[in-house]
Amino acid sequence: MNTIIDISWLQLALGLLILVIPIYILRRFKTKLIGSTVIAVVRMIVQLIFVGYYLEYLFKYDNPWVNLGWILIMVLVADFSTIDRSELKRDKGLLASIFVATFLGVFIIDLFFLQFVIQLPNIMEAQYLIPITGMILGNCLRGNVIGINDFYYNLDRHQERYRFFLASGASKKEGLFPFFRTALIKSINPTLAAMATIGLVSLPGMMTGQMLSGSSPLIAIKYQIMIMIAIFAGTLLSVYLGIKFSLKVGFDRQNNFRTAILKKEKE
Amino acid sequence: MTLSFSNIDFAYPGQATPILRNFSLTAETGDIIALQGASGSGKTTLFRLLLGFEKPTNGTITLNGKELVNEELFQFRNRTAWLPQDLDLGEGSLEEVFFYLFDFKNNKHKKPSKEKAYEIFEFLGLKDTQWNTGFRSLSTGQRQRIGIALCYFLDKEVLLLDEPTSALDEASKEKVKELLFDKNKIILSASHDPWWTTRCNKIVKINSPVV
Repeated sequence: MNTIIDISWLQLALGLLILVIPIYILRRFKTKLIGSTVIAVVRMIVQLIFVGYYLEYLFKYDNPWVNLGWILIMVLVADFSTIDRSELKRDKGLLASIFVATFLGVFIIDLFFLQFVIQLPNIMEAQYLIPITGMILGNCLRGNVIGINDFYYNLDRHQERYRFFLASGASKKEGLFPFFRTALIKSINPTLAAMATIGLVSLPGMMTGQMLSGSSPLIAIKYQIMIMIAIFAGTLLSVYLGIKFSLKVGFDRQNNFRTAILKKEKE
Repeated sequence: MTLSFSNIDFAYPGQATPILRNFSLTAETGDIIALQGASGSGKTTLFRLLLGFEKPTNGTITLNGKELVNEELFQFRNRTAWLPQDLDLGEGSLEEVFFYLFDFKNNKHKKPSKEKAYEIFEFLGLKDTQWNTGFRSLSTGQRQRIGIALCYFLDKEVLLLDEPTSALDEASKEKVKELLFDKNKIILSASHDPWWTTRCNKIVKINSPVV
């Protein structure tokens, strides 16, 4: 296999010229999206340049503590994103619950794949740890936003149903079971759909990147299979733990749902 | 068993006017009570207070002299069956949602067979209802009958019935009475239906407080 051809900054700038086509279409249909497009493109470039330089540093020094610190920062950002993109308030207890759940979801899956499957001599090795964690975390974030949001949104909307279960002798766990089930199903559906169509409809980014870097397609698909399983397991685990941990904050001593944790508290 | 509301005041958060002011009521085993009052007078609120979903601003609710909080409340919830005005058992077929209540640890031993449950459905006029029908697609009257069947099978000591006959014809009402009236229970019902209230053995009027 050949190694990848580096792109010069000038060549990359040349690549941006293709944006003329979408901008023309957006302008022709008066979509008012040109401003948003320019902002999105600039943000993407700045963020990726920043990450590129940062990862260069991480890979070069490959210090386990720095790597762990970077992962904790990624989990923290994912934690705030989950809360901000959901119906929930930035409550300390909720932030802590989702932080721990996301971290455990990623950490357990990382440990399993890097230690037992790939059998890395050092599982904190940046070259493996950072990209694999990033892939799992990105999907955990999406799963958490869908799952946790669905759980609390439905509970708020159908609070009378939950109360009816409590009044019929259910424990909190039993009363919440149907809400929990629906949230898990909704959060995992996109990953299931992606697994079922992968390779047919699209070539995943990680696999494409690996092949471009000179890996054989057969190595690339093995990593891709592993990463899909890791994403599936990690997402479900972090959504499950996220909801479970947040229950301590979301209910009072009488097992009543505390609507005060929602952004728009309903009286 | 004695259930007491003593000098209850209650206002929903954000509302200046209390819905209940200085309300008291004592119910003993064998009492079949009709709570009467205009819409919004606090009949349903009384059930919610009793079940611990809302907390009285003043006053206490006791069962055999013990205040219904914490462990006492959990035990009480296990001794009640509640028929809300609009029963919502969620998504799923009638079979799934009906029997889900008997998956609870506290209710497992009361789980009826499908045949026995259907027998009661038929008795209540639900003979055309299929087990695989989506619960959400049932009419209000059908859902009400399902709720009544649940109250019957759960067989708890306290029955809280919110407008139990609002969507039923006279023949069905008679059957509900036959199924649920029991001298060994306390039955609290909120009802606008004279047919029902005249068959209860106590009538308690709730008047909204005058501001």
